[in-house]
Amino acid sequence: MTARPTRVEVSVDPVRCAAHGLCAVILEGHVSLDEWGFPVVDGTPLETARLARRARRAARACPRRALLLKSEPVTGTATTVSS
Amino acid sequence: MTAAYETAPGRSAIGRVGDDNGVLLAGPVDGWADLATHRTRWTGRRPAPGRLVDLIETGGLCGRGGGQFPFARKLRTLLDQPAHRRTAAPVVVNASESEPASRKDHTLLTRRPHLVLDGAALVAAEAGVGEVVLHLHDGADEAVRVLRAAIGERHAAGLDDPVWRLSLGPARYVAGEASAVLSFVEGGPALPRWSPEPAAVSGLWGLPTLISNAETMAQLAAMVELGPQEWRDAGPGPWSGPLLLTLAGCVTQPGDVVEVVGPATVGRVLAEAGGLHEPPAAVLVGGYAGTWLPGPVAWRLPLDRTGLASAGASIGCGLLAVLPADACGLAETARLVGWLAGEGAGQCGPCALGLPRLGTTFDALAGGAGRVVPELHRLAASVDGRGACRHPDGVARLARSALQTFAADLRRHRWGRTCEHAGRAPLLPLPADHR
Repeated sequence: MTARPTRVEVSVDPVRCAAHGLCAVILEGHVSLDEWGFPVVDGTPLETARLARRARRAARACPRRALLLKSEPVTGTATTVSS
Repeated sequence: MTAAYETAPGRSAIGRVGDDNGVLLAGPVDGWADLATHRTRWTGRRPAPGRLVDLIETGGLCGRGGGQFPFARKLRTLLDQPAHRRTAAPVVVNASESEPASRKDHTLLTRRPHLVLDGAALVAAEAGVGEVVLHLHDGADEAVRVLRAAIGERHAAGLDDPVWRLSLGPARYVAGEASAVLSFVEGGPALPRWSPEPAAVSGLWGLPTLISNAETMAQLAAMVELGPQEWRDAGPGPWSGPLLLTLAGCVTQPGDVVEVVGPATVGRVLAEAGGLHEPPAAVLVGGYAGTWLPGPVAWRLPLDRTGLASAGASIGCGLLAVLPADACGLAETARLVGWLAGEGAGQCGPCALGLPRLGTTFDALAGGAGRVVPELHRLAASVDGRGACRHPDGVARLARSALQTFAADLRRHRWGRTCEHAGRAPLLPLPADHR
C-alpha cells in the first residue's frame, strides 16, 4: 500500500479532559500521566502510519472527546507502507 | 538600545491625569474629558481604508491586556477571514481589568472615555463591523456611567460610530480573560475556553472576532492621530508608545496611574512618581501573576521590552508593586498564590488541583518550612502550560520568581522559624472580600 506520509500532532483539550487515561495507554510512549492522572503529551510528532492509526484510535476512545488530532502531510516522496 | 534613547525626542517625562507630561492622560484634571474637550486634542480622523494595518505595524502596537500580542498581526488575521464571516461578529473591548491592583483601564474609561471609543470605532470601521461590545465587570459603576454619557454625546453629535453595547460580567479574576469574556458575551459562563484557533479566526459563535484590551484601543486612537513614528517615539526606548502603569505597595499613592513618555527606568518612575529615594527590597512587575525582581535590579531596568526581558520580566498589565525592606516577600507571595488559586475556573485538572497545592505549600514556606522549596519548584513546573488559559502559567511565574528573588529570605524560613517581618499586615491589595 502506498500512502502519502502524514505527521499527526496530538493535543489535549484541558477543559474537556477528565483524566480517564485511555490516551496514555493507547499512545504509550507518547502520552504519559501526571501525579493526578492528567495527560502530558511529550510533543514528539507521530510520523508512521501505525502511530497515526493509534492516535486516531486514542481520539475515538476518549470518553470526553478531549484528544484532538492535527494531521499535516509531510512533503517529500510517497513511501510504501505495510499495514 | 542606547541608540534608540539617543534618537528619542528630547521629551522624556512621567505624566499623570491632568498634567501636560502625558499623551493619553493629558487633559482636564477633574472629571472626564467630554467630547468637545476631547476634540480639541484628538480629531478622531481615520486613515484611508486598507491602510490601518500597515500603520499599526509601523508603530508596533502590542496588546495592553497583559499578553502583549502584536496588534497588527491580530487585525491582519481578522481581515484575512472571509468578509461575510468577520463582519458578523461585534468587536469586543475588554474593559474588565480583573487584575486587583491595576487601575490604568479604569482611569482611561472614567477620565478619557472618548480615546477608547475613538479607537474601537476606527478598528470596527476598518473591519466592516457595525457593533462594538464594551465588556466591564459588575461593580464598575463609574465607568459605566461615564461611558453611557460619552456614548450619548457621540450619538448627539452624529458621529460615524458603530452601535455600542455595554456588557457587564462577573467580577472574578479569570472572568477577564479574553476567551472567558467571549464565552460570557455569547450567553455562557464567564470561563476561559480552550481553542486551537485564535479569536480572530474563531471567536464569538465560531466567527472571526477582534477582542482587545481597552487601553489598546486608546493607544490605537493615539497612534492614528499622532502618526506611528511620533507615537512610537513617545514610548520608553524601543517599547512603542506611551506606557501606562499602576503603582502599588509602599509608594506614596498606591493605585496611582502614571504615563511614561520617552525613555525611563523603573527606578525613575518609582522615584518621581512613587516617592522612593532608594531602591526598595523588591518590585513585582507586570501584575500579580508577574515577576518579582530584586529592588536594585528593577531600579536600573529600562522600561522597554528588551530591558525587562533581560531580567526575565515583561510589562504585563503595567503593574509595579513595591515591597519595602520591612515586609516579607515570601508571606506576600503566599497570600497572592492562595488568592490566585481560588480564582481559577476549576475546569482544567492540573490547574484546579495543582494551584491549591501550590498555595498551601507556599503557606508552609512562609511559616518556616524551608524544606518544601524543591516541592514548590516541582509544582510550578507541573502546572505551567497545563491549562486552557495562562492562569497557571502566571502563578508558576510568580512562585518561581519569588523563590529566586527572596532566596536570602529562604535561609531564614527554616525549621519553623521565619524572618522578622513575616507576621506584618499584608501590603498588596486583594478584593475586599478576601481574608
